[in-house]
Parts: sequence; structure tokens; C-alpha cells
Amino acid sequence: MTAWVRRRTPLLGPFGVRVLLWLLVELWILNVADLLLTRYSLSLGFATESNGVMDYFFKSGTVQAVAFKLGIVTVGTLLLWRLRHYRTSLIAAALLTAVFAAVVAYQALWVLSF
Amino acid sequence: MLFTALVLLIGVALGAVGFFVERGTSTWRPEVTRTGSGWRVVQTHQAPLGGLALGGDDLVWGCGPSIVLMDLNSGRLKLLGPGPASQATWDAAASQRYVVWFEAEGTSAGEASAWVYDSSTRRRRQLATLGDVLSLPSASGDRAVWCTTTPGGGPGIVAVNIPTGEQISVATEYGVPVIDGDIVTWPRRMGSTGMPAAWALVDLAQGRRWSMVPAATLRNADFLGYDLSGRTLVWGETDSESGLSRVIAQNVDDGGGSIVAEVPGGASLAAAPSIDGDLVVWAETLATPPGSRVMGRRLGGGPTFLIGDVDGRVLSTAASGGTVAWLAQQGQTTFIETAKVPR
Repeated sequence: MTAWVRRRTPLLGPFGVRVLLWLLVELWILNVADLLLTRYSLSLGFATESNGVMDYFFKSGTVQAVAFKLGIVTVGTLLLWRLRHYRTSLIAAALLTAVFAAVVAYQALWVLSF
Repeated sequence: MLFTALVLLIGVALGAVGFFVERGTSTWRPEVTRTGSGWRVVQTHQAPLGGLALGGDDLVWGCGPSIVLMDLNSGRLKLLGPGPASQATWDAAASQRYVVWFEAEGTSAGEASAWVYDSSTRRRRQLATLGDVLSLPSASGDRAVWCTTTPGGGPGIVAVNIPTGEQISVATEYGVPVIDGDIVTWPRRMGSTGMPAAWALVDLAQGRRWSMVPAATLRNADFLGYDLSGRTLVWGETDSESGLSRVIAQNVDDGGGSIVAEVPGGASLAAAPSIDGDLVVWAETLATPPGSRVMGRRLGGGPTFLIGDVDGRVLSTAASGGTVAWLAQQGQTTFIETAKVPR
């Protein structure tokens, strides 16, 4: 995979790598916020988990859900960091962070309005 | 770090836009305005408002399949139901703390589920599963009652402890029960006018069962509905021949009845009366339609008093904790108004 990325994508400079690091930190924090807001919304009895995989883990138990959600995103962010010298990694991190920010903003507004 | 902030900002903006677009396109949100005496809630979409219930600081109504709750202090709205697996709901009942309602995949579905919203914890949960819906729920304190089909197939009246979900059989017969405190009552042997020949009564705390003949009834009167508070049962009846309507209160212990209000010909009772403590509330259509007025009287004494003039036809009333609410219709538009009544 690394060889494929190296052939196809331009490389990132030191500034780009720093931006990537910040994005990955934000992504991880947003993932924790998403987890907390989802757990709270589910506990109120009004929300349902529309992600089938997460629904399975939430039904299995909170510990399993926390372990899976934190684990999968941690692995993902480490993978993107491993590929930190490639611009594709930065684009992917930016897209994921924006999507997580949208989800967290939506959930936070729902909880605040409730 | 301007770039990372921009990424966050774009994401937050997308999420906020999605939230407000979804909120703006919802069909259950009415127009809510504060009035001098309380609130006015007006239907804004095709589905009319219905199923009015009042409990504690919560006003609850139905709008199509949606069950909507409004906090009477703030005017904030909450969509309580239906859940994602359901498409049909029945009118909700409210106690000081709980709102109870039924949901099902469809109104013809053989199996429904009872749901409860706890206003102190702001949580919604399934309370019970039931068979056919034979009555709407009624709620008081920590209990709810309803009539459904029993495992044997016949009708049965069931009481449910809301915190624990424990169910007890109140009676193995059909009835539309109302609960207040420990007392459950329902009308028996209703004739062609709907007027019951007797009231069935059960004291859940003492396990006592008895029945009572309705007092002070008009001959051939149409029955408008009933309500219970403490040891007092009230109902409304109207005689189309004489044009006379009555609100009657009857003590469930000694059977003593009294006429709370008599509405002479020209005007008439618009809906079943409501009772909360010693306050009885009813609605009268005026001799000159389409106006109505909501009236009240305290059983402890004192004259009848006006609670509100209504520009339309009142469909139902509710009273709880010094607040009175009424559901009314003017043309194709339904609306709910509330008013505070001095204690």
C-alpha cells in the first residue's frame, strides 16, 4: 500500500505533517465526543444507533462499544500517521475530521434542544 | 492551524445545517405563543391536534402519529413518539411525572406496546407489551391502567406499576378505565345513549371492589364522558330533547351525587368535564355559535366562574395542578390553550 501511495500522491512537507498531527488529534477527540453523545442519546431512549456495527457493540455492552469505537479510530489514526509523508493521508484526515465534526455538532444540538 | 480550524468549522456548519433543516421540515411542530394566561398552541400542518393530556408541568397532545410534549414553564417541545419501529400511536395519558402511550406498527396490528416518558429523568422506555388496544391508557402517580386482550383472548383491565413494570389484573371484563390514586373506575352496561347503568370501582390498595349507580341522571341523556379525582367521579350528559346538559359529581364512597352545573337549552355541554382536586372544569358551546367558553367550579363551594372564552368549538378539556387546558377547533384549524386557575 505504501508503495502504491508513494507512486500516486505527492509528498507532504514538515508543515503538512504538523497539520496532519493536529487533525488526527482532533479526530480522536471528536470520536470520544461522538461516543459520549451517542451513549447519552441512547440512554434517553429516543435515539437509535443507525450504524449496524456500532449497534451490535452497544447491544453487547458499554465496555465492548467503547473498546471497539476507540480501538478502530485509534488504529485508523495510527495508520494515517504511519502514512504521514503523503498528501493523501492529509486529505483523508481532513475529510474524516469534517464528517466527525458534523456528526458531533448535530448530536450536540439535539441534546441541547432536548 | 488555520487549516484545521477551517476543517472543524466546515464540519460543524454542515452538522448545524442538517439539524436545522430536519427541524424545519418536521410536520409535528405547531406554532406556540405565550398568552396572558398561559399558552396557545396552533396546528400548522395538515394533521389536527388531538389527544390532550395534562400532568404536572407537562402538556401532551397528538399530531398525526406524533406524541408531543410541551413544558408549561418554558414552552419547549419534545417529540415523545412514535419510535422508529412504530407508525401508529394512541392518545397519551399523563400523571404528575409520567406520560404513557401506546405504539404499534399499525392501528390494525394485533400487538401494541406501552411506552412511558419520565419527566424527572427525561428518559423514554418501553413499559409493557399488550394485545389489542381496547382502551386508551390512564395514568396517576406511579400507576397506569388500560384495557387489552388477555392471554385467554378475552378483554381485561390491567394496572401497571410504572417504575417496576409489574402488572396486575384489575378485572377480566371490557371497560375504559380511569385511575386516580388507588381508585380505578369504568362505566358498565352502557345503553344506546352511552349512559352507563353502573360504575365499576376498584380500590387497588385495599383490594375492594364495588359498583355504584349513577346519580342525578337525565332521562335519555347522551353520555359525554367522565373523569376521576380523589374520591369524586364527574361526568357530563346532555338531553337533546329538552336541550338540558348537566355536569354531575358523585362521591365513590357514599354514592352521594350533586349537580355541579346545569346548562340550559340554547347552549350545551361541548365535551366531557375534567376534575382535579376540587376543581371541576367543563366547556359550553354558546347559544350563538361558533363561540364556546370554558367554565369551572370548586366542589368545596363558591359559584361557577369563567376560565376562558374560546373562539371555536371545544373538543376536550383537562385540568391539573391549577392549570386548565382545552383543545378546540375553528374551521379546519385545531388549537390548544391553557390558563392558570387561582387555587
